[in-house]
This record gives sequence, structure tokens and C-alpha cells, in this order.
Amino acid sequence: MKFVAIVGTNADFSYNRVLLQFMKKHFWRMAEIEIAEIKDLPAFSKDVPFEETTPVWKLKQQINAADGVIFSTPEYDHAVPAAMKSAVEWLSYQSKVLHGKPAMIVGVSYGRQASARAQQQMRKMLLSPDCNANLLSGNEVLIGNAAKVFSKDGRLTDQACVDNLEKCFTNFVEYAELFKNASRGEQLMSVKRPMIEDAYVSFPTGRLSLREVQAIFNTIPFEIDLIDATDRFAYYSDKPNREHVRNVNQLGETYSECHPPKAVPAVKAIIDSFKNGTKDVVARPLMMNGHRVLIRYYALRDVDGHYLGTIEFTGSVDDILNLAENGAWNADATSSASHGHAAPAPVEEPAPAMDATTGASEDTDEEPAAPSEPAAPVMSAAAQRAEQAETDASTGASEAADDPEETDADAMTGASEN
Amino acid sequence: MKIVGIPGSNANHSYNRMLLEYISKAYEHDMTVVDVRKIPLFNESAKETPAAIQAMSDAIDAADAVVIACPETDHSVPSSLKSIIEWLSYQLHPFTNKPVLLVGASTDAQGSSRAQVDLRDVMISPGVNARVFQKEDFFMSFAQNLFDENGDITDPGTIKFLDKCLRDFECFAIANDQEVKLEEAALAKAEKEAAK
Repeated sequence: MKFVAIVGTNADFSYNRVLLQFMKKHFWRMAEIEIAEIKDLPAFSKDVPFEETTPVWKLKQQINAADGVIFSTPEYDHAVPAAMKSAVEWLSYQSKVLHGKPAMIVGVSYGRQASARAQQQMRKMLLSPDCNANLLSGNEVLIGNAAKVFSKDGRLTDQACVDNLEKCFTNFVEYAELFKNASRGEQLMSVKRPMIEDAYVSFPTGRLSLREVQAIFNTIPFEIDLIDATDRFAYYSDKPNREHVRNVNQLGETYSECHPPKAVPAVKAIIDSFKNGTKDVVARPLMMNGHRVLIRYYALRDVDGHYLGTIEFTGSVDDILNLAENGAWNADATSSASHGHAAPAPVEEPAPAMDATTGASEDTDEEPAAPSEPAAPVMSAAAQRAEQAETDASTGASEAADDPEETDADAMTGASEN
Repeated sequence: MKIVGIPGSNANHSYNRMLLEYISKAYEHDMTVVDVRKIPLFNESAKETPAAIQAMSDAIDAADAVVIACPETDHSVPSSLKSIIEWLSYQLHPFTNKPVLLVGASTDAQGSSRAQVDLRDVMISPGVNARVFQKEDFFMSFAQNLFDENGDITDPGTIKFLDKCLRDFECFAIANDQEVKLEEAALAKAEKEAAK
């Protein structure tokens, strides 16, 4: 169980923050509680420029990845503080991040009322159609006399309060568990195993079982993400140790929801260029998690050239670069350890830009390394299409032009070249 | 009557601001509609009151009454409006005993009715202590159909009801003024007695 706990004020000191910190420690065996602050969020307004909403995006991503949300609200003027309300407005404005999300409301005050009125209002807000969260009835955590019931080191010392908190939190965990299990069935079916196990997909060049398709996608040395033709995040390959960590809750998000606001214009530019046909490939070399990574975006098109989506290949290229740096492709390096049986490829001349894939990687040295900048296409789209028209689009990537020696050199793809 | 109008939305386009601007234009009252678009979110740890809030507080002090036009988000008062009330009930308290009329507009049927109910609670809470006019509820629904391109209200029924609300509110404000004076006098007397 993983919960995000939102401190309902932007104040420097708040017993509502103290309560969440206490819950995080007290319930560490039952759940992982991640405390989220709202003080970095801009004040809600429909007119805040999209690029300035990165903290909002981060909070939404946190919530998306969590099994539930805990709201700890103070009370100002008999109501929810403006800062907390502003955060809820961000989470409900053009966003479904709270839809169906299990939510728990807690609150602390100095007086006896324990933010009861604010909590009631919070409940009403979270149940409104734009938020649409799931709340347990009853289960009220009302902690008054804050300065008395908390010790100086932030422990809740009042036993009745602790008992009630434990009861309510246990109920909340069980409640959230129900939702988690409900979606887990679906996830197991679609993510861990294909929906139909014994089906085959027939291609012009052979057939694959769905298990094989999935195994292939999870094994190739690049991770795959697909934005479909409706601009939604539709698929990612379930490869271990991904550079981009994804979770199934992100599926179905639009590309502007699943990217940080700063990156959205660049992503949009790439996708628009794929849609209008001015580009087919964009490559972006960058450093990620301490190693050299190459991201390549391809326009996914059907045989008639209609746009099906954008596929993003991301992978560490350290091993390939190390091979190159160690002279694996040098003319006099006869060893070619990985191609024991094959004649060494004719390597004096630089690999010709004969197809989309290798073409894309060649120009990357000239690409700006800034991750948010879309790179220029490597080859003109027209040239690529001409190229692909000559060869078979689906196998084009491995077809080393007309050089028979090169094709021989590659045992794996050789089979399909005949 | 000198009136300060507070629009509850910080959006560039707001029917609630248009409603206040219409009132300011169509009636004889001396009414100023304040700009709430650049007000920072209330923070109790802030060392200083923002200049715009100080100016708003001074304007309310100098006015006879306040009209608040309240939108609704998530079934309650928008944060932009709540933030202003928080600023004006923390180090400054300009609303104390001030006659306040709540109105509101929305683009659907409810006319921000739920937000206005919440706002009334906020306005009569001890830190704010306003005198909220309760005789009528002004819930303007489907506001997008009620204004022309000059920002004038075109619907005669709405105008008629707004006339009534404002007239009754003016009477309420006058009566409230008397009542506050009576109350202060009674209080002073009671304190004097208690001191003996």
C-alpha cells in the first residue's frame, strides 16, 4: 500500500504536517506514506501558463502512482484553507487524477473543534463530480487541542486519539485494498499476460504467438513507449530497470498529462511533425541515470502511410559505444568476437545512411543534448519514404542496402533477407 | 452608498466580475470593483500583508457596504476568493460589522448556490464577522446567455430581481448601521456597569 499524504496548508509550521509525519512513522508496517507539500503549487487560476504548472504535474504523478490520498486539513474561517482548496482545484481542473481514488480526510486544530467544519467541506469537495474521489463514510479523525495532545517530538500522546486513528487508518487501508485488488485482476490479465494466450498474429513474414510478441517487446534492448493516434499513452514494454519508470495508472493519459509541462511543447512538436508527415524520426541523445542514453521517436504508420501513433525507443547505448571505442568495427580487428562464423563487415567507410534506424543514430552527435529540445530529423521524410518504398518497411531497419556481405554478417536478420 | 465589489474569480474572463461591473455601471451607487487577479495565496507565515490587500482593506474600511460575486469550484468557494477573505481576517479585519451582499453566477443551473452557502458561513465566522444580507439569494444561472457584448444584462427578469436585491440590501445596510451603533452603545454601557 502506498499513499500520498497532502499537508493542507502552506504555513511553515502546522500540526497537520506533524500529524502526517506521525502517521508515516506509526503506520510504516501497514503502508508507505509519502508526504506531499502544497506550498510550491501556484495559486490556482485557469490563466496560469501551462509551463508554470510543473509542481502540479509532479503532485498528480505522485497521486497517480499511489493507492490512495490522505488530506490533512486545518480550518480557517470555518472552512478549508485557500491553499488546500487551490490544490484541490488543480487536481480537479481538467484532470481525473482523483477519480475513483480512495481518499481519507484527517485534521488537527488548536481548539476543540478539530477542523470539523473544514473536514465536512473537504468531504463535499472530494465527492463533487470534478474530483469524484472515493471516501469511506464515518471514519472521522478529528484531533483537537493540538498543543496538548502532541509531544514536542511530534508523537500523538493521547491514547483515545491514537486508538481512533488506528481504527480509521486500518479501515482506510482495507478500503484502498479493495480498489487495488479490483484493478489488479485487470492488470494481471493485460500487463503480465496477454489477454488471449494461444492466439497468433500473422505477419507477411511469419507468425508470432502473443506470448512471443510480449517476450520480444520485453527483451529487445530498448524500452518501448507508444502514444497512440488519439495522443494517449497506450503501451509500454515491461522491461526490467527501465530508464523511464512507468506505471499502469499512467496508461490512457494524454501526452500532455504524462510529460512534465516543460517538455510538452517539444513532445507536441515531434508528434505534430509525425502527423503532418514532415518527419518520420527524431533522435535525442542524453545522459540519464548516469549513462549515455539514446531516445528515438518514430512515426508509426500503416502500409498506406496513415499515422498510427508515435513510438519511443529508449535505451542505454553504453555497451554499443564501448564496443565501438574498443575497436570492434575496426578493419584490422579480425576477431569480431560476436560474429565468429561471419566474414567481417566492410567497415572502412562509415556505415551508409541506408535506412531510418541507422540513419537516425548517425546524426545524433550534432543533436543538442538538452533533453527538452526536439532534435531535427536525421533524414528528410521524403528521402526516408523513398528508401522504405524500395525495401520492405517492416524489415528495412536491418537491411543493409545492397551489400550482400553485410547481410551475411548478421546471423539474426539474415534469415529474413532472402 | 459607497460600495466595494469583490469578484471571486482570478480568471481573466469571469461572469462574476461582469456581474459586478454591470452593477457598478447600472446603479447610482459609488461602486469600485477591485482587481483580484494578482493577489498572492494567503500564507499565515508571511511576514507582511501584500500591498494590494492593504489597499483593499482600506477601501472596505472607507465603504458603506461590500458586494461579493462568488463562483463555485468543486461545490465550494474558489481558493482565489477564500484567500482574500483569509488575508482580510488575519492581521486586518475590515469586514467587522460591514454589510455584505453575496451574489454569484455560473454557466450551469445552480448559480453557485452551494458556494454561496459556504461563503456565508465563512463571512459570519468570528474572524471575519461581517453582516451578511440574508433576505434574498441571487443565483445567476446560465450566465453566458444573460450578457450582451457590452457586458449589459439583457434578461428583464434578472434585472428586476437585481433591482430588488440591491434596494433591499441598501435598506439592510442603513438599518445595520443603526443597529451597530445601538449595539456599541449597549456594549459600552454594559462594560461600564460591569466595571462598577
